[in-house]
Amino acid sequence: MKTLEIENVHANIGEKEILRGLNLALEPGKVHAIMGPNGAGKSTLSKTIVGHYDVEVTEGDIRYKGKSILDMEPEERALEGIFLSFQHPVEIPGVNNAYFLRMAVNAKRKHEGKEELNAAEFLREMKKYLEMLGMKADMISRSLNEGFSGGEKKRNEILQMLMLQPDVIILDEIDSGLDIDALRAVSEGINMMKDGKRSFLVITHYSRILDYIKPDYIHVLKEGRIIKTAGSELVAQLEEEGYESIEEEA
Amino acid sequence: MKPIELANKSLTDAATLLGVDSTSPALERLLAIGLPSKKSEEYRYFQVEKLLEETYNTLEYVPHSIEEGEKIVIVDGIVTHAPKNMRVYYDQCQAMDMTHFDPMYYLGHLLSPHVIKIDLDGDTDVEVEHHYTKSNALINYRIVLSNQANRHATLFESFHADNIRDTLVLYGYDVFVSPDSTLRMLKNQKMDENGYAMIASHRLKLNQHANAVLKSFDVGSGMGLQLFKAELDTYAYIDAGHLLYLNKEAQRGTVSKIIHRGEHSTSQQEAKNILDGHTRGIFDALIKVEHSAKYTKAHQNSKAILLNEEAYMASKPQLEIYIDELEASHGSTTGQLDPKQLFYLRSRGIRETEARKMLVIAFANTLIEQVKDHRQQEVIKALFDEAYYGNEQ
Repeated sequence: MKTLEIENVHANIGEKEILRGLNLALEPGKVHAIMGPNGAGKSTLSKTIVGHYDVEVTEGDIRYKGKSILDMEPEERALEGIFLSFQHPVEIPGVNNAYFLRMAVNAKRKHEGKEELNAAEFLREMKKYLEMLGMKADMISRSLNEGFSGGEKKRNEILQMLMLQPDVIILDEIDSGLDIDALRAVSEGINMMKDGKRSFLVITHYSRILDYIKPDYIHVLKEGRIIKTAGSELVAQLEEEGYESIEEEA
Repeated sequence: MKPIELANKSLTDAATLLGVDSTSPALERLLAIGLPSKKSEEYRYFQVEKLLEETYNTLEYVPHSIEEGEKIVIVDGIVTHAPKNMRVYYDQCQAMDMTHFDPMYYLGHLLSPHVIKIDLDGDTDVEVEHHYTKSNALINYRIVLSNQANRHATLFESFHADNIRDTLVLYGYDVFVSPDSTLRMLKNQKMDENGYAMIASHRLKLNQHANAVLKSFDVGSGMGLQLFKAELDTYAYIDAGHLLYLNKEAQRGTVSKIIHRGEHSTSQQEAKNILDGHTRGIFDALIKVEHSAKYTKAHQNSKAILLNEEAYMASKPQLEIYIDELEASHGSTTGQLDPKQLFYLRSRGIRETEARKMLVIAFANTLIEQVKDHRQQEVIKALFDEAYYGNEQ
């Protein structure tokens, strides 16, 4: 069974139709990369999957593990195992990073019928990831994303992903604003999550991130539709010839 | 007594009504300014007439010996307990401000010829508990507070009422902050709908190099207005922060005038307002920089979150400046919870109601966490939670 199936989805932001009959299926254990020019609808696609309030789906369906999620609230989708790493994570002054993450982890554990983690168990679990991601210990005691650099925000997104252990992971421009060291640390975190079952959707402008996270499929998104799907060899063609060269598959 | 009956009275008639000397300068000043009404600048957002039109039982001042206790306890305006070796006593007020903007400041003084004097000696922390036990009463008292030069003192205030209804409390401080000293005053007050209403009228005088930190944490419902005038001498510094969390049909807030008189004086004032239900929040605050106050720094800010479309925030930060050599700013924003922040939390599996609570508490925390005393910080957080979660049930 596919993990996530997007079938003929049309979606608007405001009055404007952005996704125009998009079809995509994520396979278990596979890394799918979405590439496309500016304004193609890449970020709208990620927002549509997680139920963002900006997006109105006018036609089509999205099924997660065989069940339609269009009527589900964003938190229900998250609890079921869908995770979006935001392109621009918001800053929330006054919400302690560790407190927030423990709330999120325990909400998911409760949803799964597991016992909630106490403070000590949570800290133990988190510590191992902090070190791996090269995050300073004080970041976790600060307000959520407040005053974080671009790289720190992305590392914090990956920390959340590692702690929440989702089944579908959407990475929206995860490489933007990252230096080489940060990119390596973030990629290491993502690769750690590969277990042959989880599906990854990597949304990117550039091929750089795909040197670190090897994709199984490349999908080219243009004008709100997937116009081509191929293996990783497509990256080289896109690098050389750009998106203009890609013709829509029949 | 019906306070509204003082309106348009002659000096003699008003003196007879209040039982005071008709030559009292405070009475003259009160009648010159007039009782507050909806037309008064300082009371235009607060339904003061509704309170003044009620008939209240006035309380007799009965001398009471002050017992030793850990805190200063004031019951219906009478001091019952005070810490050992702390100078708490009754005396006449000899230093009334004759240019205060608030008529209720003068009414308060007229009704309280004997004020409670608290002299804070040395570096000290003291708690003041105000208790109200009488229904339909006019509870009136005033406190004169002073500290010592070169010393640091903190005063924590809390308010308690047990099953009372329809009482009006008029109280206030005359505060004298000595040169080179620091005085912190932290007030937390949870009010209910029908228990008591309060008009608190204060005056603060900051001497040279004096520092004052005023933090008020006002939560719940009811009617309450705090009005203060603060005068700053050379190199004086005031940090005022006001948190409002209102629900039901509350009308509460702050009206203030901070006046820079001395050079190099600094003021910063921040208001955080969270309004639910059919409430009205008030932040009507003027910072005035006089000709003599060169090199002043004055910053003022008010932020409000409306949780209900029936809630209304009257936010009016103002600067009145007579010099060029200064640094000043002011601002005011009113909005709702940030949908991006709310979505972010929800996208991590946190239910919407819980996410909203987290954001509201986060907004409040930016002020609460400025309270350095951990125990007091916990008290304020608990009071906030009680008002917030209590409102949900």
